[in-house]
Amino acid sequence: MLTAALAMVIVLPVLGAVSTRFLAPRGVRGTAVAASLAAALMACWAVWAGWATLGVGNRAALFDMAWLPGTSGSGLFGVLLDPLAAVLLLVVTVIGFLTVLYSTSYLREGNRDHAVGPEGQARYYFWLLAFMASMAGVALAPNFLQLFVFWELTTVCSWALISYYRSEKSLRAGFKALLMTHSGGIFFLLAILILFAKTGSFDFDAPSRLDGSLRFWVYGFLMVAAWAKAAQLPFHTWLPDAMEAPTPISAYLHAASMVKAGVFLMARAVSGGWAMPPELGALLAVMALVTVLVALSFYFVQDDLKRLLAYSTIAHLGYVLLGVAMGAMGSQVGFQGGVLHILCHGFGKATLFMCAGAVAYATGTRSISALSGLAKTMPLTAAAFFVGVLAVTGIPPFSCFWSKFMILAGAMRVPGPLGPTILVLLLAESLVAFGWMLHVGQKVFFGAPTEAALMAKDPPGTMKWTLVALMAGSLLVPLVGIPLVHMIGG
Amino acid sequence: MTTVVLLELAVLLLVAGAVVSLALARSLRAAGWTAVAAVGASGLLVWIVVVRTLSSGPDPEATLASIPSIGAALTVHVDALSAVFLATVATIAFLCTLFSVEYMTRFTADGVAKYYPVLQLLIAGIVGVVATSDFFFFLVFWEVMTLTSFFLVIYEGGSPVCQKAGLKYFVVNQGAALAMLAAGLILWRVSGSFHFGALRDALGQLLETRPAVAHLALLLLFLGFATKAGILPMGSWLPDAYPAAPGGAAAFFGGAMTKLGVYGLLRAFLVFLPLSGATVVWGWVIAAAGLGSLFVGTLMALKQDDVKRLMSFHAIGQMGYMFLAIGFGMVLLATDPFLAALGLLGGIFHVLNNALYKSGLFLTAAAVEYRTGERSLAALPGGLGAYMAVTAGCAVVASLAIAGVPPLNGFSSKWLIYATGILGAKESTLLPVATLAAMFISLVTLASFLKYLGGTFLGVPRKNDPPREVSVSMQLPQIVLALACLAFGLFPAVPLGFVHQAVASLPSASGVPALGALLGDGSGLGVARAGVEMAIWAPLPVAAVLVLLGLFCYRGIQRAGDAPIREVQVWTCGEEVRPEEYRYPPGSFYRPFKEAFSGIYPKAAWRPPPFPVPLRRILDPDAWLYLPLVRGVERAARGVSRTHVGVPQVYLLWMVVGVVAVVAILLLAGS
Repeated sequence: MLTAALAMVIVLPVLGAVSTRFLAPRGVRGTAVAASLAAALMACWAVWAGWATLGVGNRAALFDMAWLPGTSGSGLFGVLLDPLAAVLLLVVTVIGFLTVLYSTSYLREGNRDHAVGPEGQARYYFWLLAFMASMAGVALAPNFLQLFVFWELTTVCSWALISYYRSEKSLRAGFKALLMTHSGGIFFLLAILILFAKTGSFDFDAPSRLDGSLRFWVYGFLMVAAWAKAAQLPFHTWLPDAMEAPTPISAYLHAASMVKAGVFLMARAVSGGWAMPPELGALLAVMALVTVLVALSFYFVQDDLKRLLAYSTIAHLGYVLLGVAMGAMGSQVGFQGGVLHILCHGFGKATLFMCAGAVAYATGTRSISALSGLAKTMPLTAAAFFVGVLAVTGIPPFSCFWSKFMILAGAMRVPGPLGPTILVLLLAESLVAFGWMLHVGQKVFFGAPTEAALMAKDPPGTMKWTLVALMAGSLLVPLVGIPLVHMIGG
Repeated sequence: MTTVVLLELAVLLLVAGAVVSLALARSLRAAGWTAVAAVGASGLLVWIVVVRTLSSGPDPEATLASIPSIGAALTVHVDALSAVFLATVATIAFLCTLFSVEYMTRFTADGVAKYYPVLQLLIAGIVGVVATSDFFFFLVFWEVMTLTSFFLVIYEGGSPVCQKAGLKYFVVNQGAALAMLAAGLILWRVSGSFHFGALRDALGQLLETRPAVAHLALLLLFLGFATKAGILPMGSWLPDAYPAAPGGAAAFFGGAMTKLGVYGLLRAFLVFLPLSGATVVWGWVIAAAGLGSLFVGTLMALKQDDVKRLMSFHAIGQMGYMFLAIGFGMVLLATDPFLAALGLLGGIFHVLNNALYKSGLFLTAAAVEYRTGERSLAALPGGLGAYMAVTAGCAVVASLAIAGVPPLNGFSSKWLIYATGILGAKESTLLPVATLAAMFISLVTLASFLKYLGGTFLGVPRKNDPPREVSVSMQLPQIVLALACLAFGLFPAVPLGFVHQAVASLPSASGVPALGALLGDGSGLGVARAGVEMAIWAPLPVAAVLVLLGLFCYRGIQRAGDAPIREVQVWTCGEEVRPEEYRYPPGSFYRPFKEAFSGIYPKAAWRPPPFPVPLRRILDPDAWLYLPLVRGVERAARGVSRTHVGVPQVYLLWMVVGVVAVVAILLLAGS
């Protein structure tokens, strides 16, 4: 039963995607409704599945296929729902649904930032739903092979979605994202080739069966793949450029889900057999720390609201990887905190992106210096933006506080001087980032209203409800997330 | 009902009140009265908890939720110390909310949707801070408090001053909270739990094994709480933030919220820190910080022109007194518990007294602002006493109380502090020296409040368009606070009984003598040691003598002079001068002081260094790695495509060349 439901989580959006193709001639409305319905059903199923995971633990259904001779271990294809998968699945489906909902109002003629007519919308929903299906596939993959397949599918979908507007800049950005994340994917492929050649298995715990130096290389390659996908140093340059995508796409792909696939891979690899060499864990942690600080240094020169958020995303993916790395260094709490951060940051950052979208929708600009005094005319967006800032920078009781705190606590469990160093640097980053985000929020929403601000309005219909839902999510997800992550590794 | 149920209900009421007042926000007054009802009802529940705790001891600890992986649990435990602070917060919160109902009608443009709901959540957050016995959730509630108060500070978000004040407030306090969080994590590394008791054990253990780390944790805790309390130099956010908030909120900040810095300090240094050599060391640090703040803060207050800013600097100065007293107490705790108890009593009693007169003063300033629209002493017309008699009377009482004029409450707590310092002379001569400085500052306090009273309420009343007294709902809180100042001054023994319970509930100060042994059993205070009276303060007789003396001066001198009372113009040597022109403006008060102390609190200008350009270049691998790589590939591809010329002869030539090459290779490989 559960297996069928889980399979449907992948199949349903595919069906939805295909149906958008057929519904397209009948007008935008039908396409949008069909897409929303498919996404909603998918989210419901996923939430139910996540609920079923609580207190039960792993559930897997695997099917073998006579394809590769010499495979040992469990089946080649299937679904696996454990707490880790449930966390990603929740992010992917719930925020995915909200993204579709938001898009139905965002892709309109009245959009001052980028008016979108009825033509081409079917393409948008097709790729969006296809992306959701691939992300669900990533979340539910029972082994590295299936994970790899869906991982590459997300790359393809992301290329199409970033280039959606088909302007020169967006085509370039899409291509750049494709190239860079796919180059990372090659390392992933290398890793699973080694894995298969040596152990005959693609299982998540297979790397633990490798001996010393090979294990080192496999984890190293997986790490490079994760860095590229999650826009970590030195592969961080594609993400800010990908902001050419429509804002709901940025919110979904580049804050909540696709970049999370990278950190999810690392979480899978580490928790598979808890066999990642601690030295590599330390390297991962140091790189994550450097990424966090480097991303922070880019905050102060950004004028485009979305680019600022993109750098913030890079920093927060660093946080997740830091937590995951702590898991490799023997700190269970840090690992759980990192995984929880996937969920908490997903909601917080999606809120911020959707607000940036609402601002651009109403005023036609995303330039921080050109915006001022929007709170008067857009109170709901202002409230959501501040909730997003507080959630992302980790002010209790909002979401990221809980995950950040677990990561910080995890750092205290890391032996040697690395732990306190991480603690001090993360606290400093938190404070500076918080100060800057708050400053930007005040600049954009308070102060003397500009002419554009006086004409602006809170966004229409479904966009508004999306913001409300995301605000609630930014406050409440830890209630779901904390029990889920407590089941990991325990 | 148990403590925890009562507090849950109180918080629930506040949250419900927040929601309802948000829904009713279109009507300024309806939202206000909803808030008053919610805050009042929850205040009542809190008071039930307080009375029960102080009369029959604390209820056992209750656990509401827990996060086992980090050893945190939402525990509720109200001991006598928490009870004293809960009572203060509940009372001040109710009075400030009541005051706000009419006051907030000033802000028709801004509305109250961002005032009452936030205020009620703030109160709920503070109840959480004081009621929990788990440091993790203490921090969570602490941040809720900072967060909500931030939105009150930026209430008038339109003005850049307000925004800047809000940003500074939040960032500085967030930094302080992160420092406390780091301290908590350092202790947690040892204990594995955030429970207050576990942290005490952890700190004790660390002091023995790794004293440097223990002192680092204590330093972080000190920085965190001192920042919240407004201790300089960390507290320089305070004089910017409080004036920016609306009057009722500013009064609540000054009267109740700042005090939580003291609460945290007591928790950190008398609960977490076991009685040891470190207690003495940190006692000196705290006393020194207090002395510095009361000195600089109060002198800065003297030269302020904005009334609310003047009072904010006094908030810093007064906080200095509390820190000084608690520092005295900690220094003496190990060697002389008797005197230490006096110091701690004085410090905590000063918290209560300060809550009363400080919020009272902020309310009077807000009432004046409400009627005149002015906060600047230079711009205030003066002579308001003739029209706003109640406000003026309350302002006089509260001003005299803060300056420590007997028989008001400020005097009784200061008396305890001074007694500790002077009697502590045999421990260290530094104590009486610090005490002398504090006494001098009391004078400065009086001087600066004479400026406020003189500039606002005295002087020739303005005849045209005179302001009216504020409404009853705005008067009532002021009157209650002024009367409380008087009552606490005349009968200090009653509140001191509760304060003594609070002191005795602190694990590190559990050895203090009983109240009777400390201060006698009468209505006044008498410090007697081994049967020898060392200091006595008897407020009732002194007050009686003062009243009689006053009446005598007023009546007796008048009658002796037999002078009739006449209403005449001020004689200006026959020249035509308007009253405004010969009025001595408040700005000219204490000009020599201003000049002498102009640089006492220097303003440091700091600009962040520019980001190094080479590093910026390195951090952009697009420019030096990826783009060149892609271009290289592109160029290579173009090179290959150049071979495709579309001429069949050329392709044939290539084939011939290829065949020759293959044959050559075969031949070479064969030989």
